[in-house]
Amino acid sequence: MKPAKFDYVSPSTVEAAVAALVASNGEGKLLAGGQSLLPLLNFRMARPSILVDLNGIEGLSYIEDRDDRIAVGALTRHRDLEHSPLIASKLPVMSAAMRHVAHLAIRNRGTIGGSLSHADPAAELPMLATFYDATILVQGPSGRRTITPREFFVDALTNCLEPEEIVVEIEFPVLKQDGWAFEEVARRFGDFALASIAVSVLRGPSGLEAARVAVMGVADTPRRLDEAEAALVAMELDDRTPDRFSEVVVSQVSPNDDLHASAEYRKHLLGQLAKRALQTALAMKG
Amino acid sequence: MNSDRRVTPSDVLRPRNVGAPIKRTEDPRLLTGNGEYTADRKPDRPLHLAFLRSGQPHARIARIDTAAARQASGVVAVLAAEDIADDFKPVIPFSRMPNYYATPILPLASGKVRYVGEAVVAVVATSRYLAEDALELIDVEYEPLGAISRAESAVAADAPLLHEAAGSNVLIAREFKKGDVAADLQAAAVRVGGRFEMTRKAALAMEPRSYTAEYDKRRDAITLYTSSNIPGIVRDAVSEALGLPGHRLRVVAPDVGGSFGSKGSLYPEELLICIAARKLRRSVKWTADRLEDVSSSSQAFAEIVDAEMGFDENGVATSLQADVIGDVGAYSIYPWTCGLEPVQVVSFLPGPYKIGSYRGAVRGVATCKPPTGPYRGVGRPISTFVAERLMDLGAKALGIDPLEIRRRNLVRPEEFPYRIASGIIWDKTGFIECLEAAAKAAGYDQLRSEQAEARKQGRLFGIGIASYAELTGIGSRIAVAPGMPINTGSETAKITIDSTGAITAAFGVASHGQGLETTLAQVVADDLGARFEDVRVIQGDSDEVPMSTGTFASRSAVLGGGAAKHASKLLQEKIKRVASHLLEANADDIEVTEGKAVVLGTDRMVTFKQIAKAVYSDMKTLPVDARDELSATYTYDPINGTTAAATHIAVVEVDPATCFVRILKFVVAEDCGRIINPMIVDGQVHGGVAQGIGAALLEELVYDEDGQLLTATLVDYVIPSAPEVPVMDVVHVESESAVAGGFRGMGEGGTIGAPAAIANAVADALSPLDIDVSILPMTPERIFQLIETAKQKSKGKTDE
Repeated sequence: MKPAKFDYVSPSTVEAAVAALVASNGEGKLLAGGQSLLPLLNFRMARPSILVDLNGIEGLSYIEDRDDRIAVGALTRHRDLEHSPLIASKLPVMSAAMRHVAHLAIRNRGTIGGSLSHADPAAELPMLATFYDATILVQGPSGRRTITPREFFVDALTNCLEPEEIVVEIEFPVLKQDGWAFEEVARRFGDFALASIAVSVLRGPSGLEAARVAVMGVADTPRRLDEAEAALVAMELDDRTPDRFSEVVVSQVSPNDDLHASAEYRKHLLGQLAKRALQTALAMKG
Repeated sequence: MNSDRRVTPSDVLRPRNVGAPIKRTEDPRLLTGNGEYTADRKPDRPLHLAFLRSGQPHARIARIDTAAARQASGVVAVLAAEDIADDFKPVIPFSRMPNYYATPILPLASGKVRYVGEAVVAVVATSRYLAEDALELIDVEYEPLGAISRAESAVAADAPLLHEAAGSNVLIAREFKKGDVAADLQAAAVRVGGRFEMTRKAALAMEPRSYTAEYDKRRDAITLYTSSNIPGIVRDAVSEALGLPGHRLRVVAPDVGGSFGSKGSLYPEELLICIAARKLRRSVKWTADRLEDVSSSSQAFAEIVDAEMGFDENGVATSLQADVIGDVGAYSIYPWTCGLEPVQVVSFLPGPYKIGSYRGAVRGVATCKPPTGPYRGVGRPISTFVAERLMDLGAKALGIDPLEIRRRNLVRPEEFPYRIASGIIWDKTGFIECLEAAAKAAGYDQLRSEQAEARKQGRLFGIGIASYAELTGIGSRIAVAPGMPINTGSETAKITIDSTGAITAAFGVASHGQGLETTLAQVVADDLGARFEDVRVIQGDSDEVPMSTGTFASRSAVLGGGAAKHASKLLQEKIKRVASHLLEANADDIEVTEGKAVVLGTDRMVTFKQIAKAVYSDMKTLPVDARDELSATYTYDPINGTTAAATHIAVVEVDPATCFVRILKFVVAEDCGRIINPMIVDGQVHGGVAQGIGAALLEELVYDEDGQLLTATLVDYVIPSAPEVPVMDVVHVESESAVAGGFRGMGEGGTIGAPAAIANAVADALSPLDIDVSILPMTPERIFQLIETAKQKSKGKTDE
């Protein structure tokens, strides 16, 4: 299990990295934390002609407070997000989710840009980008552009980037919310999610003024559940609300069977997690 | 701790090392990264092997084109079956069993491939990278012959044959019988039964299989460094296959990172690497990657058991019958044969219970999967799972508490030695004592009240008990595997004091994590009268003793420890004789202790160093006929071996929301005889139970209908990690066995008891929903489906 032969380059600027990708004619691969790429190389499932190592580029790892938005540099490690007081206070759902991201060794190396680009449908960061409706800033030969998560995640392990484009920053809006919850179930702690849900609520004069719901592990991409959000805002708040919400969430997904869980079991799990998450979110006081 | 059993006269006289929780002497090097594993060997300019493995489950090899690979950069040789046909004799896993077909062991697939992952071509190159590059240039043309994926369909008359020469896919069939089971079942007050299944498992040692063949041109000799736990058996088999006498073939198992059975058979790659080294007159290295290890090392379990047990109205089990079908994979393994795992299921099924009549029939069926082989517990994890489920089903049907029904059926202290219905004889062991000690340590009565309380709240809370017995330290009268012709019933210890006074104890056993360097040194120190830290233990090296096998079947404490005791005593006699000259005292008045010979009741003494000097160097002190080399060798054979037993109690809660099982409590009360090192015994129990938790809740190798392995990575093959393993309470019931030292083997027991105890606990937790547990692992998916089915059923009932 050794990789096939490849060349290696370690540019010191994003421009140089883009130029290296252009020069590779679509045969190049970016190396950030390497937590998904290296196994693929060893299995020879990925056979790039050249690895463009981003780790030598300075200024791509940061967590920056922009008041109503938090900007995260693409090379920021999972461990930095997990332990950031800024993330904990402004993006509490992300903070809660980060401890579910794989294991310590992986969190030490893995990067947010790498995780989003890998686009695993059962990984936390793509789901969080979807939940927050983050702005993904990418750089290519003709400069920079921004992409929404809905455009970015095309399919399982597939993003919408052009071969010469590099994710450089992700900007997360700070949500107005009175309550939130993140729930996940995996076979073992740190494994890919069998099902997971993030919920945020903002109370209005009567009932909820706004709600936000995202799920993962139950489709080919992480998903915002617009119908469930609308339904939740329309619901009267009483003891039955979490059950009704759970039913709406389940009706919005159609997962596939796989080795670890049948579609019915995943739906059951998601329903249970939805109920629990909404109970937690509604129990919070502002 | 069971205090009334701890203080016995032998405890008062207990020697200072045996029984003490001495820290393992191997740990400082292993934990600081200074161990030397097979892959760490650095022979001169080694070549590297890579294997092209079959992607086909069952196909005729029509053509192999290696021309391009031979031209590739760094490639020294490309070997397919026909290139090495004259270089070896096949190894035959022979057995005296009737109804058995021995498939020959070949280094590379010849004519046909029989499972996905079977080695077809070997590339030898100057680096592993270049070897793997060259694999991509090899073209193999296959003619598919149809996958044989399920043992149950492989026995059909029209199923394609995996081994045409066998005439059947049933490679082994056997039946055990005692009494009139049919009549006894007919007469039984209650009959319980079902179809039980334990799925296929991987052993998954942390170090994958690894071999380094170091070639010595001057002597046309090979030293094979191997991650094997049976280096002695490998030496003898490779010697025979390659026609290399033992003094030109040394086999060494250096530090080995676990086996759990998966490194306990002779492998095709072990033969191939020796053939390649000899053919190319170069040293050759190979280490399996994780994918190769999971898809080509021997696998475990994979049995379906239809079983029925009859009880009288008092809850005494009177009769038991079982039909077992074992999915043994594509080949019979050397030396254990494909009968090892499935036959052991029927030979141990009656377990520690006095069941009057018995019929157990087994078929081992060939399929397109890697062979099954030894795996910690061998056969008994599933036989215990089945028998203990039946005990609980009987208890439920009769309204008897599960603890009480076991009291009524276990062999009692006054009844040993006891021959169970399958013919195995248990020597005196604490069966009842383990049951009672586990119940006491778990707070059994209190647990049942907690359970009643939990059920009132609608919680799914369960308690599971499993008792088992096993044969350990097996001597020459019993074959470890059925009908196996090689001797695994003896082990040799050779203890030497050299001219510097240093003590070296050499053994043929081969520690792969058991801590034998520590425990055998403890035994030698006590019986020789040396200081523990002065004893060096050498093991796993075929050059050190004339004949050996290795470490398996819970044998090394009993056989290695017994040999150590006897050899130590012999050497101590020699020391006393020399000391009696030097101290001018009667040998009977000399005590040997702490590396010194002392005249009892005086301060006159000589050290081992002085004794060695007198024997080897100083030619004036001793008469010539008293200069007897300070060395003793003893080959110990416990003849029958000895029994070990335990009771496991698991307490679990099933979360109906997630369908996950949480283990709230786990208690083991075990009888492994006199304990050499309680810290190591605890570690063995903890590790065994962890693997048992894997078997009960997590681990399953899934092959699809086309014979493809779907769980080939550790993302999909899920093993317990630290959070899945609870804190355990281990109680030692130390009843001394009749073999040397009073030891019993205990390396496997944890894995035997835990799956059954957890299965019973999960079944108990789910019993308010009228759910039974009959397949392991009990994954969240399976529990979800059982709960859904139960809901449908009860809905159906209400609708009626």
